[in-house]
Amino acid sequence: MLDLLANGLVNIAQWKYLLPLFAGTFVGVIGGSLPGVTITMTVIVVLPFTYGLDPLAGLAAMTGVYVGGSTGGLIAACLLGIPGSPASIATTFDGFPMARNGEPGRAIWLGVWASVWGGLIGAMFLVFLTGPLAAIALEFGPWEYFSLFVLAMAMVAGLSEASLLKGLISTAIGLLISMIGHDPIGSVPRFTFGSEFLGGGFPFLPVLIGVFAFAQIMTDLEKLDLPRGKVVESLAGIRLERFSHLKANREIFRQPFLLAWSTIVGLFIGILPAIGGSASSVMAYDQAKKFSKTPERFGKGHPEGIIASEASNNANVSGSLMTIMAFGIPGDAVTAVMLGAMTIHGIQSGPLFISQNPDIAYGIYAAYILAHPFMLLICVVLMPLMLRVITVRMAVLAPVVLVLCVLGAYALNNTMQSVYVLLLFGVVGYVLVKLGFPLAPLILGLILGDQIEINLVRAMMTDADPWLFLTRPISGGLLLAAALSVALAIWQHLRHQNRVAEEGPDF
Amino acid sequence: MSIGRDGIAGLILLAISLVLLVKSFQLPSIPIVPVGPGFYPAIVLSFMAVASALLVVQDLLKRRAPASAGASDAPRRNYRLVVIAFAVVGAYVVLLPLLGFRVATALFVGTLQAALGRPRTAQQWMVLAAIALGTAAASYFVFERYLLVLLPRGTWTGF
Repeated sequence: MLDLLANGLVNIAQWKYLLPLFAGTFVGVIGGSLPGVTITMTVIVVLPFTYGLDPLAGLAAMTGVYVGGSTGGLIAACLLGIPGSPASIATTFDGFPMARNGEPGRAIWLGVWASVWGGLIGAMFLVFLTGPLAAIALEFGPWEYFSLFVLAMAMVAGLSEASLLKGLISTAIGLLISMIGHDPIGSVPRFTFGSEFLGGGFPFLPVLIGVFAFAQIMTDLEKLDLPRGKVVESLAGIRLERFSHLKANREIFRQPFLLAWSTIVGLFIGILPAIGGSASSVMAYDQAKKFSKTPERFGKGHPEGIIASEASNNANVSGSLMTIMAFGIPGDAVTAVMLGAMTIHGIQSGPLFISQNPDIAYGIYAAYILAHPFMLLICVVLMPLMLRVITVRMAVLAPVVLVLCVLGAYALNNTMQSVYVLLLFGVVGYVLVKLGFPLAPLILGLILGDQIEINLVRAMMTDADPWLFLTRPISGGLLLAAALSVALAIWQHLRHQNRVAEEGPDF
Repeated sequence: MSIGRDGIAGLILLAISLVLLVKSFQLPSIPIVPVGPGFYPAIVLSFMAVASALLVVQDLLKRRAPASAGASDAPRRNYRLVVIAFAVVGAYVVLLPLLGFRVATALFVGTLQAALGRPRTAQQWMVLAAIALGTAAASYFVFERYLLVLLPRGTWTGF
């Protein structure tokens, strides 16, 4: 295993991979740091540039974006009190107060170094656990796959912050979208209504770009008038004080348990399908507060809060990569884009991925590890500039990002068809957001739709007995877990409702 | 008891799933495969129909707070901008094959920027124009020259 990793590192140390990785990390740090531009948007912006590259080069660039973006968000979080990307939401709780207490440099460098260490500890799990996980999945038959995908969808629907019911409906809409076009078994046209536009089905990436970039930007535009100007003005006088990197590291390693636990929380949330960095950042912050000897200092500029949030959101990246590489299930929207990119290059994701494409798999590990020193270097060099970058207005950014979205859809196969799909799903996504439907389950349903159907039919073809889904132990266990996660979501919802009823509205 | 937004959304989704459910029963079956192409859609659509119906029921049973409460606290949202932005993007997508990528993109970036934050001074207008032309030129150059993507040529402009 280690020699394969060494090979991967040697392989990635070629200019044709290092350059995209560095460029990706750079764009990631910038994109992540811009409030209103999420990591998913950044990776979508980078996407059209990767179509022409060799698969590993493209994936290295995206991995760089992912790592850079997870860190970049903390700059705006500390200086403006607005998370640059959703993944750094909990960094604002203590980073912003610390910066206002006159220590913006300490807040930022603690965050950056916590990101580096969280990410690198996560890398160990990524390298050593992904293979064994995939090996388990290799034993699966169609029944187990079907049940695994059902579990993934049940968890995502249950974990979405909106209502469970809406999460489930959103999943079903995703599955429905994947059905339009020719069916994967016998190529019978389904729900096409005789239209040529619908006949080919909806390609996955334009739908994803529409839902996660386009619809997201539109929701941001609603808030464009809000007084952000004042915050930006207050930034004018800020200068980062000198803060020694050694001191930042000493502060982090004084509490090894905090670092380790935040990393594990982030990793675990990352492994869970389709929930991303924001959940891990908030949960790690919460855990840190619970375990802390000084919980009363949280929210007032406590270093522990910054370390927990930033270590966990970078570890989350390694967890997401694990799920996608071992099972072919995206850990969040960013890995969903990566999955789409792999499909373009004809790489089959799933448990066979690592054994069939060891070069790419170990190349991704190596890219992930190398992205951290790159990210650190970029932060050190660019930090003085970042104070200006994060104040670029959305009015300037939105049109440029939208052009790159359109290009990403168009360049997929050089037709306007995909651009129309993008526009259509931009509108659909926006309407769903406004109605309170979470979008992550929709995307997961869309990605897994074909696979679920194929495995379901394959299982029925092997043995027509439907009870096998329940009586085969692993399959039954996975379905039981799916049922439990739905039950848990209902229970939590009820408990929350009761508590709200007791306390009354507190806003 | 009155119906809210969730209820209406649920009703629409219920209607869609029922129509498609009927459609899925009409799909032909394939001789060798034990389950036809309509089997799996029928399962998903039944599930969606039930969930949508539950959403409607849940909405009808919900105790509604008086409409005035809370409404004033929520940040004012600027839907005017969203409508304008959707219109500008829609126009861009329609005009792209007619005007060609370079012209349409420069116009789009300029128009949307001006719509989102109108420049006040001549200098701001210059910056806006520079960003619009720069985005069009840079993306054209990178994609057409380096990434070998043939961007749309305008049927009206031939450019």
